[in-house]
Formats: sequence, structure tokens, C-alpha cells
Amino acid sequence: MTRTIKNYVDGGWVASMAAELTPVHDPATCELLAHCPDSTLADVDAAVSAAKAAFDEWRSTPVLVRAQYMHHFKVMVEENFERVSQIVVREHGKTMDEARGEVRRAIESIDFAMSVPVLMRSDGLEDISSGIDETTVRQPAGIFAAITPFNFPFMVPLWFLPTAITCGNTFILKPSPQTPLSTEYLFEMLDELDLPEGVVNLVNGGAQSATALMEHPDVTGVSFVGSSAVAKIIYETCTRNGKRVQAQGGAKNYIAVMPDANIEASVSNILGAAYGCAGQRCLAAAVAVGVGDAYDKLKDELAKRVAGLKVGYGLDETTQMGTVISDAAVERIESMIGQSQSEGADVVVDGRNFNVEGYEQGSWVGPTLIADVQPNTTMADEEVFGPVLALMKADSFDEAVSIVNQSRYGNAASIFTNNGKYAREFKYSVNAGNIGVNIGVAAPSASFPFGGQKDSFFGDLHGQGMDSIEFYTERKIVIERWV
Amino acid sequence: MASLNTFGAILSHAVELEAQLSAWYARLAEADKAKAADKRRAKLERVRRENVVEITLEPIEGLSAEDYALDLSGDSPAAQATAAQVAARFYADVAPKINVRAAQRALERCGREHAR
Repeated sequence: MTRTIKNYVDGGWVASMAAELTPVHDPATCELLAHCPDSTLADVDAAVSAAKAAFDEWRSTPVLVRAQYMHHFKVMVEENFERVSQIVVREHGKTMDEARGEVRRAIESIDFAMSVPVLMRSDGLEDISSGIDETTVRQPAGIFAAITPFNFPFMVPLWFLPTAITCGNTFILKPSPQTPLSTEYLFEMLDELDLPEGVVNLVNGGAQSATALMEHPDVTGVSFVGSSAVAKIIYETCTRNGKRVQAQGGAKNYIAVMPDANIEASVSNILGAAYGCAGQRCLAAAVAVGVGDAYDKLKDELAKRVAGLKVGYGLDETTQMGTVISDAAVERIESMIGQSQSEGADVVVDGRNFNVEGYEQGSWVGPTLIADVQPNTTMADEEVFGPVLALMKADSFDEAVSIVNQSRYGNAASIFTNNGKYAREFKYSVNAGNIGVNIGVAAPSASFPFGGQKDSFFGDLHGQGMDSIEFYTERKIVIERWV
Repeated sequence: MASLNTFGAILSHAVELEAQLSAWYARLAEADKAKAADKRRAKLERVRRENVVEITLEPIEGLSAEDYALDLSGDSPAAQATAAQVAARFYADVAPKINVRAAQRALERCGREHAR
């Protein structure tokens, strides 16, 4: 019988009281890997109670000791690097390179947390009045929760957890019920760290447990990564309940390719940006805008190389693109391709009805290239979250920028050019939180905040970087006089 | 034989190549060469782990593992020289295909060690 994943609460593994279970499949082999419980309000309450009980002792644990836990944690993840990567591949369907890249970036976030003793330091000023000194101190803010998505099941939780707890907070993670195995393994490693009970807690589940966390009076703040529709709900629910919130939503990321760009080199990078993780990432390149005669060159080069991408099981090192997450995702993506076709676009490389020998039950969508996409159509406006790259044409740089800025999303945008003037103008005028210049995936490293504007982000302080220190701490002003 | 069409495929092939060489040299009682190959294997595993850059992962074209198959059936100095030549050629061919300089440098160094 397939096992049901447990929650991790108050320093130990406990069975959820859930009646509802979500099956977790390997999306390539369709093998049933486990069942994920839809944790109840009581499960969430137990986790919050444990986090609350642990807070006072943890916040008074010296920050250097808290950072030292991160050092040991990093060593542990490095030692288990291949194992973690394989778990990510099995539950998500991405390739080994992509999984290793994800784990690497997760480690960057642990590295960042090790610098919390420096980043939490604050400032002060003597003699703001006669014999009166004023200082600020940063203190941990309380109990934080993160609600994380399926597409980076190991990395995204670590955008939040290491910094949150190293700042002295206690923490509850609710991962996606579609990919709970990476976080289960993450907590097996955390268990080995011997953190005080209740500092980190894992509650598996879906909307019910997420809502319980957002509405729980003892939770200080919530981080979320997922679709824009849900991010908006998360933001509204959390603010209504008086919580800090950072909610990263969906995206429709545009890439402008100028006539002066090196088309061959640009396409190499665009392939990774559009089809990496089978397009299931909030920084995926979704629309390439060819400016002037770059359009035809781009279309020809992409058509040639997209069809040659090797699609297969992620554990095979030679696979260049894996599955999408589920059959429901296949259905949705294929429907959007059909919709685009009916709107007059040209499906140059069609990934519908795709199959991989030996993995016929898998959730496959082949790499898809759609040309002649017009503004205000499905492929121009809607997030696909699949391996589909749309091509649009612009007559000028200004028109390309205008097309990019029409999007309701503002997660990322890139330009491929050899002209510094175009690059500068693009950085200056495009309304997106992460800008790439000759980089298709503009993913900020852990010491920079993960940008996002318009419908791609709801909140004030972003994840990662100094924003995360602000998010996870409270600043207290101390004014002193001794007579 | 597999295509060496990804960062991971190239690094994993290099790891396997050094593991095979280490075992072979050990069988031939070439302790120093076995140790050097094992050291390279460990280094390449670290390179695979630490230099996989998500934002620059790109498909790689034009390399096939069958072009670098080792013949480890012999035990003569000539067989050893041939194996080293194959390994050196492998590293010389794959290093330019990798777009992360630290990984490229490690592969180039492995190639130089085999070419000595």
C-alpha cells in the first residue's frame, strides 16, 4: 500500500487527521509515489501552537548559533545533492540538470541566511539631544508561514525558511500537494539538525490548510508563490487578517530580439528560457518579439532547433525537456494551443498529442512554437505555464517595448541586443520586476530581491535579499538617557 | 550510445570516464594513476553540483559519447597511452561547449592532466 506523507510538527513526524488524500505521481512513469494529506484546521493549529511555543527560546538563541545551524544544513544538502535532485525529478518531471540547478539555487538561499548576523545589524546615533542616544534594533517578528508551488518544490521553500528562522522567527511550510516529497526530504534533513522543537514545521495540504494558516491569529506573516489569481486571494486574505504578506503571482514574460542580436547565440539561450522546466516557471520566456528583420531569422532558427529538443524522462541525463506536471496540465496547455490556432496564429512546431516511447502514460506536451501571434490574443495575454513559445513581430524597438508593457503581468522581460542604447532604454522603460539583457531567464540570485510588478506580485517586500530581512524582522527604536 | 547534449550528460560522462579509469589503473597496479583519476572524479562531481547554472542552461549539440569510448581490455603501456589520448580528446572537445567558465576550466585541467 502506498504510504501517506506525514506532517512535521514540534520536532517530530505526525500523521495528519485528514480524511482527504491527494495522490502524488511521477508524471513521466505515472507511478503512484505517495499520498499527500489535506491537513485539517486542527493539524494547522498544532503546527502554529508548536511554532508559538518555540518562539521565545529561539529568538533568544544567539544569532551566530542560529546561523551555525545553516552552515550544518548547507553541508547536509550538499552531501545529499544528487538524492534531492532525483526526488525533484521524480515528483515534478523536470530534467536532472534543471533539478540540480534548482537545488543549487536553494543552497544559495542557505548561504544568504548565513549572512543574517551581518544583515540584522542596525544603526544608532549618539546625542540626538543632550545625553540622549537613539538606536534601532532588528528583532524577529514572530511566526511565519510559506505556501509554495509545485514547480520548484525544493528551491522555493528555501527562499523563505532559512532567512526566516535565522532571523529568529519560527516557521511553518505548506508545500504543494502535487510535489510534497522534496519538502518531506528537506524536513528529514532539518530533523537531523536538531533544531529546537517547533522552530520548523511542515503541514501538507491544499486550500484548506492554506486558508487556516492565513486566518490563524498567531501567524505573523505569509509568503506565497503561485498563480496570480491565488496570489491576489492570498494577499487580500492576509491583509484582512492583519498579516504581513508577500505573494508572487504568475507571469507572461516577453523577450525582445533586436536585429543586431546574435541570433544563433540568442536562440540557444531562448531555448533554455522557454522550454526549461517544460515552461513551468514564473520566469519562463513566453513571447519572443522579433524586431524588424530579426523576426524571420528568429522564427527560422527556432523552428529548426525547437523540433530537435530531446524530450524524455528527467532521470535520463540526455533529456533536454521533461514532462508537465499532470494530465490536467496537458489538457489545459493543448486547449490553449488550439485556441491560439483558431485565433489565426501559425503553429510552427506542434507539441500536442506528444508521446515518449516507454513512457506512454506520462504527461507530455512537446516543445511548441507558435508564430504570427497578434496582440490581445490567447498567446499574447494568457499565462500558459507549459512548453509553448509565441512569436510576435514589431517594426521598431519602441513598438516592442509597447507590446511588452501592455501585459498585465510584470514578472520579467528580456532583450537580446548588441546595442547598449537599446539595452539601456529597455531596462529604463519596461515595467517588469526582473530584467534580462542577453539572458532569457532573469532570475535574481539569493542576495537580490525577486522582483515582480503589476499582477505578478502582491505586497510590498519581495522575497530574497534585503527585502526578506525587512519582511522577517521588526525594527525597534530605542531612545536612552542615563542620568 | 548517448548524446552528450546537456551540461549534466557531459559532466556525468566525465565522472564515469574517470571512475572507469581509476578502477582500470587499480587493476593494473598503477596506484598513482588510479588515485589521480579518482581525484578527478571527485572534482568533477563537485563541478557538476556547484556549477549548474539554471539561468544559462542551454542545449548542447554535436557531441556523442561513442566517440570517446575507452578500450580498457588491454594492460600494456600502449593501451594506457591510448586511453589517456581518448580522455584528453574528450576534455578538449567538451570544454568549449560548456558556458560556465569554472566548469570549463576544470574540464580543461583534466584534459591537460591526461595529455601529460
